[in-house]
Amino acid sequence: MSVQSPPQPPPQTSTRTRLRLERRMEQPRWLNILAPFILIIAALLVGALLLSLTGSDPWLIYRRMASVAYGSKYGWSDTTIKATPLILASLGVSIAFRMRLWNIGAEGQLYMGAFLATGVALNVVPPESPMWLMLLTMGVAGFIGGAIWGFIPGLLKAKLNVNEIITTLMLNYVAILWNNYFIYGPWSERGFGLTPQFPRNAWMPRFTDYATAVPALRGVTAHFGIFLAFFLAIVLWVVWRWTKWGFEVSIIGDNPQAARYAGINLSRKIMVVMALSGGLAGLAGMVEVSGVVHRLQERFSPGYGFTAIIVAWLAKLNPLAIIVVSYLFAGLLVGADEIQPAGIAQLLQGVILFVVVGGDMMLRYRLRVTH
Amino acid sequence: MSDSTPAFEMRNITKRFPGVLANDRVTFVGEKGEIHALLGENGAGKSTLMNVLSGLYHADSGELFIDGRRVRFNSPGDAIAAGVGMVHQHFMLVPVQTVAENVILGQQDVGFVLDTAKIEAEVRRIGERYGLPVDPRAYIWQLSVGEQQRVEIIKMLYRGAQILILDEPTAVLTPQETEGFFHTLEEMKAEGKTIVFISHKLDEVLSIADRITVLRQGKHIATVPAAGMTKPELASLMVGREVLFHIETPAIEPGEPRLILRDVEALDNKRLPALRKLSLTVRSGEIVGVAGVAGNGQRELAEAICGMRPITGGSIEVTGDNVTGAPPIIMIEAGIAYVPADRSAMGSAPNLSVAENLALKSYRIPPIGGRWFMNRRTMREQAEALIQAYDIATPSADTPSRKLSGGNLQKLILARELSSRPQVIIAAYPTRGLDIGATENVRNLLVDARNQGAAILLISEDLDEVFALSDRIDVIYEGEIVGHVSREEADRETVGLMMAGERVTKSASNAES
Amino acid sequence: MRHNRSWLVLGLLVAVALVFAACAAPASAPADTGGETAAAESESAAPAESGVQIPEVEEGKFNVAFVYVGPIGDGGWTYAHNQGREYLEEQMGDQVATAYLESVPEGADAERVIRNLARKGFDAVFTTSFGYMDPTETVAEEFPDVDFVHVSGFKKNDTNFANLFGAMEDMKYLTGMIAGARAAEDGSNRVGYVAPFPIPEVIRHANAASLGMRQTCPECQLDIRWIFTWFYPDLERQAAESMFDAGASVVITGADTPGPVQVAGERDLWGVGYDSSNACDVDPEHCLTVPYWNWGPEYVHLVEQMMAGEFTGADIYFEVDSGALGLLGFMDGQEPQPGVPESVIPQVQEILGKMEAGEFTRFDIFTGPIKNNKGEEIVPEGVTLTQSDLEGLSGIPGREDCTICMSWLADGIVPDAEIPQ
Repeated sequence: MSVQSPPQPPPQTSTRTRLRLERRMEQPRWLNILAPFILIIAALLVGALLLSLTGSDPWLIYRRMASVAYGSKYGWSDTTIKATPLILASLGVSIAFRMRLWNIGAEGQLYMGAFLATGVALNVVPPESPMWLMLLTMGVAGFIGGAIWGFIPGLLKAKLNVNEIITTLMLNYVAILWNNYFIYGPWSERGFGLTPQFPRNAWMPRFTDYATAVPALRGVTAHFGIFLAFFLAIVLWVVWRWTKWGFEVSIIGDNPQAARYAGINLSRKIMVVMALSGGLAGLAGMVEVSGVVHRLQERFSPGYGFTAIIVAWLAKLNPLAIIVVSYLFAGLLVGADEIQPAGIAQLLQGVILFVVVGGDMMLRYRLRVTH
Repeated sequence: MSDSTPAFEMRNITKRFPGVLANDRVTFVGEKGEIHALLGENGAGKSTLMNVLSGLYHADSGELFIDGRRVRFNSPGDAIAAGVGMVHQHFMLVPVQTVAENVILGQQDVGFVLDTAKIEAEVRRIGERYGLPVDPRAYIWQLSVGEQQRVEIIKMLYRGAQILILDEPTAVLTPQETEGFFHTLEEMKAEGKTIVFISHKLDEVLSIADRITVLRQGKHIATVPAAGMTKPELASLMVGREVLFHIETPAIEPGEPRLILRDVEALDNKRLPALRKLSLTVRSGEIVGVAGVAGNGQRELAEAICGMRPITGGSIEVTGDNVTGAPPIIMIEAGIAYVPADRSAMGSAPNLSVAENLALKSYRIPPIGGRWFMNRRTMREQAEALIQAYDIATPSADTPSRKLSGGNLQKLILARELSSRPQVIIAAYPTRGLDIGATENVRNLLVDARNQGAAILLISEDLDEVFALSDRIDVIYEGEIVGHVSREEADRETVGLMMAGERVTKSASNAES
Repeated sequence: MRHNRSWLVLGLLVAVALVFAACAAPASAPADTGGETAAAESESAAPAESGVQIPEVEEGKFNVAFVYVGPIGDGGWTYAHNQGREYLEEQMGDQVATAYLESVPEGADAERVIRNLARKGFDAVFTTSFGYMDPTETVAEEFPDVDFVHVSGFKKNDTNFANLFGAMEDMKYLTGMIAGARAAEDGSNRVGYVAPFPIPEVIRHANAASLGMRQTCPECQLDIRWIFTWFYPDLERQAAESMFDAGASVVITGADTPGPVQVAGERDLWGVGYDSSNACDVDPEHCLTVPYWNWGPEYVHLVEQMMAGEFTGADIYFEVDSGALGLLGFMDGQEPQPGVPESVIPQVQEILGKMEAGEFTRFDIFTGPIKNNKGEEIVPEGVTLTQSDLEGLSGIPGREDCTICMSWLADGIVPDAEIPQ
């Protein structure tokens, strides 16, 4: 057994040129700050290339998109309408993500929030109640609806260690079907896939409602849900930065074993965090039905709960950054939907998303050429 | 074997990290068929140097030769392909996979369908060949630390490593295991393999190594043949000054019992009995050492006392209160401090700052914690004070704790645990992987705490440490205390026998025997 | 390591989310109740337009915008509407400029899109899916100078917002006659109907088909499967298969894809498509006919009204005489499909002729006596259902409430069939 196994040839004897990715040990600071800008420019360039392949002028299209989304008060209003549920849902998922709980069920939680808020608006609170009471009750109901939908996977995770990715994903479908049952069944308006319209005092006030006092607000259809979104983002920022509770979440997120060691009750925290996470997504559903749709209907959310995952990720779970990223995304969605044929707009959105998300991952690596 | 080309040659390696010069023009050469010890305090640059050799890092400058050929590794994969394998201090194994699966993990040429039987047979063969017995089908999470280390070594051998780098390999082994392990090393050396052996245990280094290279503060200090060197000589090379090997433990009369375990039973992660009617008592002002071979219930014992592992029988009393079955928070409030065996996996949150890690338990009580909020300024001030008092080397209180060296991380944990003035301290392997200076420091801190009246349960496999610090020694075997000896009566041979399961009760003076 | 791995997990989730966000978003969701065929990959693709366009008004013309729920190449509902738009441009020449937005999701997005069109100065906006009803109403209120037409809903105002739909039940009635004759000749005496949703529109169509079937085959029964979707190729196929298994020799689909026609081909039996005149193309040999929409004439008619300033809010419900409804094989210049029994052709032609002359309408179909599928009398002798009855409407301001609301299944439908709740 003293025979030496043949020495392996060193790898560098090959003369091929190879490109390889290496993970950066540390992210340089300048990169973190510049990254979003680099990514957005790169995404726009790639998008421009594709657009010119379809035979159109990318510069013109980008200018149009920007002006549609940000070029006027109406543009800002439309962008705000999209950003509102996006901010709330992103804040929701970011809570769970902070603790490394991968809640990808925001879409379902959003639906359940909308569901319960609708139930309250149509069946519980008398239609002649004051608006504040109606909206408050709907808000609480929306939060609870989402919270229950977040709590269920939280409970399963905490007590039975069931993977939350699977449960939250599956509960999305349950929520959507549950909603369909009600909007086609017991709450249906004449058998169509929607409920009756809410009474007027269940409509979240819109800026345009105050046009008689401030004429400049005419046509600004964004609703006051945006204030709620801003407020909660700030609250969350304070929670992460200054509270014991937020500190505990960051410990668990970083190292659950250490958290247990430090005396933190993990399973309770998991349930609470999942419920809060779902609750915020539920609020997103509530403001959407109360502020925009004014009734519950099939597919009222164009996937806010899924987009929220991307937003939260790009914002690095920072509540204030979530506002900015949500506005960027909302602008992208609003700006793109006048481009025809629609396939091109979707392609462009896809390309931009892909480059931004993929690029963000790439920035964690660096490219090396070897010979 | 007549080949006289060095197995590897590192010339003028320089590696810089932000703010630190980890390796400063270090030259390090390993011959074929030698065991070469790499000595140095934590932060001396040993791990960095070996990470360069094993492809994890790039040197900023300098050259690397393997078997006489100049190479440049871009990844550990390249290094392994060139026959360089490293077993890290923190094992890189996937807990939910089996031994065999871990061994082939990352292999390029295994094909799409795994020939599990063949791999298992090969793993078993390597294990028998080098005296590294391990069940190829066991899951990693079921294994003790010592067994996991074997898996790491087998993994490297399976991949045909000719140069094997071992970072603190004996830290997790018993004296008997260490002996067997040294046979393994001799076996490999006889085959012409090169072994780089990073250790702090000077006795071991002197007994196994052929040559010794000492690093200090990133610089190469000396390369000397082991034969003829003495411990103090080596230690002063490492530390740059004279080192005391003796710790003063003034005799004090122990006070009232602070920690009493009666017939405690608990299960391990495989849900098998790990503690069987284990009883012990620790009194104020004494250090009780628990000696035993790894995997005999030490981990479960520590976790049971700290409330992190449910106990299935018996009772635990802390300062006179029955806290059986209480959760960790109650144990913390009862005054139990815990220095866990795994510093990074349990004792700290790696991406949180040093200050936050220092406040890992104190954030919830004044002056840092209010009812809802926490005062981050106070937290930072306290951290600054602790960094000073415990001499923790860190760029700032805001540095993530993962950037700390092992010794400094341990100081951080001790600072946190001891500064709460605990009634009871559970210290599990407190000096594992620490260099001489840090070890000395940690031991002094523990003895100070004892002198001030803390009751300390010291769990360790390092008999030197147990003998040096303990007032009394309990030996644990298969979840039971199989023997008690007082410090005066203790001798290595008897304790070693007890650790192997022999019941040799030398003293009947203990309360619960 | 732990840290990095977490980001990797999150990264993967983000990738998954990308997929979901893409799927959940626009396009793939035709959710109108108008009955529509996203006849999938059928060859009737969109006209090859190169480059990207953004709808803009053209100075000096009457600008009309169309909002579509699906892509114009869906070969079904949206395709048919886009054909109508092209017809409008053709007929009106230089007077009119049209633009369209396809794949507009229903709900909040639709409202924004419609409002922006109005803001840009379009003179008229046609919105062609049920889910656009509320948004259209809202925007119509905000822009009194713009005319709005919503297809397949039931709301309107008195000035600038009308709803538009047609008596497809007429064509379903004729379809039922053809299917009944076929089933009688096959000796199966059983016809199947793929029903998307239990809403008045679908029930009305199925009832009309059953009543038509009883005209040519009094012993025949109409089997029915509720699939709760307009567009789900697999479910549509399964529903057809299960009815063929139960003994039907003809299956009529009320849903979007020609899947049931394909299944008929595989069984060497008979299918009937829906929505657009090309729905038989997948298997003409086994496809008896298609009742289809022909929006062009209605569009021209309405735009002419608008240009003349005569347009007001109204409930517009066109009949066969408008030219906006078709039955494949029986319209001018068409030949009946090969599977249609000779005997029934003159009967269908006769009634169709009356319909085209305005002498036979939906009210003639739904005139008593009519029993339900349990044999109980629903519409007594001499009673004719009202428009509200047909649409199952009540509680709509300005409309009478229904008394015999469309929530019953007509004679001829298998007795154990129920309307699901």
